[in-house]
Amino acid sequence: MSTQTSSTIQFPYKRTLGPVISRFFSELTAQRIVGIRSGERVIVPPMEYDPETGNALEPDFVEVGPAGTVVSWTWVAEPGKHHPLDRPFAYALIKLDGADTNLLHALDAGSEDAVSTGMRVAPRWRDEPVGRIDDIVAFVPGETPEGPAAGEAQDVQTMDYFSTITYTDVLSPTLERYAASMRAGVITGQRCPQCNRVFLGRGYCSVDAITLGEEHEETLPDYGVVSNYTIVTPTPYPGQKETEPFARASVVLHGDEMVIAQQQIIGIPVSEIRVGMRVKAQWFADDARNAAEITSKGWGTVAGFIEGWLPTGEPDEPAEQYMNRVF
Amino acid sequence: MGHEPVAVVGIGQTKHKKRRDDLSIAGLVREAAQRALDDAQMTWSDIDAVVIGKAPDIFEGVMKPELYLADALGGAGKPVFRVHTAGSVGGSTAIVASHLVSSRVHKRVLAVAWEKQSEGNAQFGLGGGKSGSIGAGGAFAPWIRAYIRKSGAPEHIGWQVAVKDRQNALRNPYAHLHLKDISIEKVRESPMMWDPLHFLESCPSSDGAGAIVLTDKAGGLAAAADGRPPAWVLGTSMRSEPSSFNGRDPIRPQAGVDCAWDVYKQAGITDPRNQIDVAELYVPFSWYEPMWLEGHDIAPVGEGWKMVDRGETAFGGSFPVNPSGGVLSSNPIGASGMLRFLEAALQVRGAAGEHQVDGARVALAQAYGAAAQYFAMWAVGSELPSS
Repeated sequence: MSTQTSSTIQFPYKRTLGPVISRFFSELTAQRIVGIRSGERVIVPPMEYDPETGNALEPDFVEVGPAGTVVSWTWVAEPGKHHPLDRPFAYALIKLDGADTNLLHALDAGSEDAVSTGMRVAPRWRDEPVGRIDDIVAFVPGETPEGPAAGEAQDVQTMDYFSTITYTDVLSPTLERYAASMRAGVITGQRCPQCNRVFLGRGYCSVDAITLGEEHEETLPDYGVVSNYTIVTPTPYPGQKETEPFARASVVLHGDEMVIAQQQIIGIPVSEIRVGMRVKAQWFADDARNAAEITSKGWGTVAGFIEGWLPTGEPDEPAEQYMNRVF
Repeated sequence: MGHEPVAVVGIGQTKHKKRRDDLSIAGLVREAAQRALDDAQMTWSDIDAVVIGKAPDIFEGVMKPELYLADALGGAGKPVFRVHTAGSVGGSTAIVASHLVSSRVHKRVLAVAWEKQSEGNAQFGLGGGKSGSIGAGGAFAPWIRAYIRKSGAPEHIGWQVAVKDRQNALRNPYAHLHLKDISIEKVRESPMMWDPLHFLESCPSSDGAGAIVLTDKAGGLAAAADGRPPAWVLGTSMRSEPSSFNGRDPIRPQAGVDCAWDVYKQAGITDPRNQIDVAELYVPFSWYEPMWLEGHDIAPVGEGWKMVDRGETAFGGSFPVNPSGGVLSSNPIGASGMLRFLEAALQVRGAAGEHQVDGARVALAQAYGAAAQYFAMWAVGSELPSS
């Protein structure tokens, strides 16, 4: 059975719209759709630069629609969570009255049978406009827009965009064995037969480009030396939980085989961390160990298994010997 | 038949700022590209191909932005493609564009690199979208500690570079930071961000773009005859190495040494300290100036900080580094390498205005990325290379 891990990344981006898209979105808040004139043509949505010649376009805006004609379409029978509607709908290319280009939008027609090329459609407006393309919730069959009475136009200069993406990883056989070993509280590395270097959960040697397998695996010590560190003053950003200066150290495992980066040194204030300090792994309790941080895009990590590293109190190792070992 | 000589005949950049709230991403790249075209006295239809560079898409949250930018860069019906080599990408973009000319695939190529950091958050992006990101500063701080310890450099060296580059930026109207009252005391007293790096020893977050137009020998000679001397490309190189293996020297990565010597060899440089007139090196954190002076064999190992200490890398010194103000003064990440490359070209064209280094005939530009593992470098000169 293969192990899957899942991770989700979320971030609120803030778009600067620039003068042209800003005008388009501002007009949407008053239930007006505008295009931009480019020679004889009217381009909708308006663009900053002519897509054929690359020339900058003068801010010559033209109101179009709101009704238009379906030029082409495709039926979405099973909408996903990122689709604009939660029921079956069509994505349609719509040529709004007065426009020379097609607008891509959702068409809420009820059933596939109700959609045809050449049909007339009109926008359904959002109840509370925010200045985004989905101020038009969808187009609907007919000539008549739906929605509340139009209000005053708002000045829209930016757009908030909340991005969220979930990755699912299927672990390689190397990472599977690595995770199983870490669950048992044992660090396992793979030794390259050519250069004798040891790597955690990579499945290959970074230097010699040789595939490393089960036959190259051996147990590594879970104690070593702090080779270098930094103390980070955290900056705020969405998802940041750190508020006080925190340290991240690199630990060279005993025998100088392997460096593990971005580790926490626990049990002492960050100001007392030293290069050359001898430390031992503090493992999470058996039932708290998990492989969630291991992904097929990275290498073996100890995150999720080792909470941090405790100073042993033994005399320091000489610092110079270790300082270059950071990653 | 050898390579076609390559000439930089157009250079443009935006005013770099914390937030260019007057421009979309398309408007930002356009501002730089239009200035480069104007400088080259060309129009959009003169361009055969467009090369776009930027750092990871997670910084702005626009996936494959090069597709959306084709319109803004006059790309319809032309080859348009994207280069991505982390922080070195601005340099790699210029190099890839130069190869399209030197290989005689195209005659006139537009290269544009950009970042609009204000739309997202680089600390978030570099931390893989998780809490506790160490950011670039936290990644490089341990190596900087190692450099300081091994070289025996006094701590004021870092402060001195931080002040010098900000003073240079005062000569450059496009630079993001114009810190008129910068001083050693201010740097020393600024908050410790990534021990041993202070806040003012670190680069800002910027919105910005840089662009160049490259052409062939005939185009370069025509520009010169018209009183618009080009910068001739003397050598280009890109090198990479893995981020992590036992025995790696991250203070002086072998890829950086090899990259430099590849460029020197192409450019006929045997003594970089004396044959190069000015250098634009990627210095996002002050200590990287002495580290790269050593990492590219401009100074002997352990001696880079002494060049700084003696004022040799200052504007008006014997080996000026970053007359533009460098990454420490403007950091639109994806464009930062391009800004080094285009500043080198400006210098040998004699077109750098108030930050012009007198008599600059050969200039070196360098950009590096990720865990100091990707390198892009070029040397440009005021004379058409003989071979």
